[in-house]
Amino acid sequence: MTDITAEPKKNYLQFVLPAFLGLALIYFIYLAKGALFPFILSAALAYILNPVINYFEVRGIKRSYAVIGLYVVAGLLLFTVVYLLVYFVTIELEALKDTWPVYADRIVQFVQNLNAKMVKNYPLLASLKLDQKFSHLLETVPQVILTLLPALTLLFVVPFITFFMLAGGSGIMDYLLDHLPARNVEIVMHIASRIDASLGSYLRGILLEAFVIFLIALTGLLMMGLNYSAVIAILIGISSLVPYLGAMVGAVVSSIVAYLQFGSFIVIFRLLVFFTGIRFFDDWFLQPYIMKRAVKLNPAIILLALMAGWELGGIWGVIFSIPVTCIIKEILHIAVELQETEFRWKPKAEPTRISIPYT
Amino acid sequence: MRFSNLLNQIYDEEILAKLGFLKNIRLFEGIRRRQLIHVLESLQERTYLKGETIFAQGDIGRALFIVFSGKIELSRLSPATHKSEVIAEVNPGEIFGEMALLEEMPRTATAIATEETRVFMLFKIKLETLLFSRPELGVNIASQLAKIMSARLRAILEKPEQ
Repeated sequence: MTDITAEPKKNYLQFVLPAFLGLALIYFIYLAKGALFPFILSAALAYILNPVINYFEVRGIKRSYAVIGLYVVAGLLLFTVVYLLVYFVTIELEALKDTWPVYADRIVQFVQNLNAKMVKNYPLLASLKLDQKFSHLLETVPQVILTLLPALTLLFVVPFITFFMLAGGSGIMDYLLDHLPARNVEIVMHIASRIDASLGSYLRGILLEAFVIFLIALTGLLMMGLNYSAVIAILIGISSLVPYLGAMVGAVVSSIVAYLQFGSFIVIFRLLVFFTGIRFFDDWFLQPYIMKRAVKLNPAIILLALMAGWELGGIWGVIFSIPVTCIIKEILHIAVELQETEFRWKPKAEPTRISIPYT
Repeated sequence: MRFSNLLNQIYDEEILAKLGFLKNIRLFEGIRRRQLIHVLESLQERTYLKGETIFAQGDIGRALFIVFSGKIELSRLSPATHKSEVIAEVNPGEIFGEMALLEEMPRTATAIATEETRVFMLFKIKLETLLFSRPELGVNIASQLAKIMSARLRAILEKPEQ
C-alpha cells in the first residue's frame, strides 16, 4: 500500500520556461504579423482537408501518399474546373470590357435622371452633387479590381504551405500532448475534441452549403439567360461563406445586370423571387441538414462578429469572424462547465442512486 | 514482386496493426473491420511513462482508456485507512475508466502507468458523435459497454467478503 494523500509541494519555477517561451512566441507573432497571414490561411485549409487525409490514413495508406494523391486528384480537378471557368469567364469578361462603357453610361444616365427629378422636387439635394460623386465611383471600379491582384499570389503560396502542414499531420499536437503533465491530458484533449467537433462541422458545412448555393444560382441564372451567370454565381458562392450575404449579393448584382441587359422590371422581379427562394431553401433545408452538428449562433451575435471582423481585418476578418466566434463560444461553454465541475460553482453532482439492488 | 513492394510501401503497417488490435477488444466485439475504421478515427492516442498518473480518484472522468501496450495499476483510497489499495492491473487489450462514457462524475480510482504504456482514449463526445452519425456502430458499442459494466458489477457482488 502506498500513501497518495501527500500532495507534492508546488514549485512555481517550473512555469518560468513555458511562460518565457509563450511571451517570446507572442512577441514573434507581433513582429512577423505581416508574414503570418498565408500560414493562418494554410492552417485553416489544412484543418478543412485533414478529414480527407484521415479517411485514407485509417484505411492503412501512409499519410504522405494520401497527401500526394489528394494533391494530384485535386490538381487535375482544379485544372479542369479552372480551364472551363476561365474559358467562360474570359468570354464574359471580354464582353464586359466591351460593354462596360455602355453600361456605365446607362447607369450614369439613370442616376442623372433620378438626381434631376429629386433636385427638382427637393432643391436642397443639389448641393450634395450626387451625380458627380457617382461618376467618380464608377471610374474607380477597374482600379479596385486591380488592387485584388496581389491576393492571387496566395493561390500559389497557400497550397504549398498546406501540403507540408497536411503531410506533417498532427505531429506538433502529438508532441505537445506527449509533453503535457499527464494528469491534464484528459481535460486538454476533451476541450480540443469539443472545439474540433463543433468548428469542424461548421467549416465543412459552410463550404458544402456555399457550393450547393453556387450550383443552384448558376443553374437558375443560366436558365433565365442572364449575362455573366458564371461570374455572378461564383460571387454568390463566395459571399455565401458569410451568413446572409450570399442571396443578398446575388439579388443586388443580378438585378443590376438584368436591368442593364433587359431594361425590364419583370426580369428583376423574377430574379428577386428566385433569390428569396434560395434564401428560404437555405434556411429550411440546407442549414438544418448540413449544419445540424455545428455551433448554433444567434443572428445578432453573427452580425456583431461580422462587424468586429471587418473592423479588425477587412474582408479576411469577415471571412474568419464566424469560425473564430464558434471557437470563442465553445471555449466559453467549456469554461463555464469547468467552473461548475472542477471549481464547484454548483453543488457537487450526485451519482444516480437506485434503491433496487443488482439482480 | 515489384507491385507487392509498392503496395507495402503505400500501406502503413502500424495502422493495420492497430485495426487488428481493436478487432480483439471486447468493447468492439461484433463490429466488422470496415466499421472499426470509424472507431479508430474516433480514438486518441498517448504514451504514458512509467510512474505517470493518468487520472486520480476524484478527477472528473471524460474518457475511456484502452491499453495498447504496457501496464496500468488501478488503486483506490480506502476511507478507513486513508491508504491507497491496488484494486486491479490493466493489461494490453483491456479497458478502464468506462464510467466516464456514461456520466461525467468523479473517478472512483487512480490510474498509474507501471511501465511505459500506450493507450487509446475514447472521449464521451466522440462516442456521442459515433452514436449520432453511425447509429448501428454506436448501438453495438453501447451494448458491449453495458455487458462489461454488468460483468464488473457481478464480479463485485460475487467477490467473497474480506
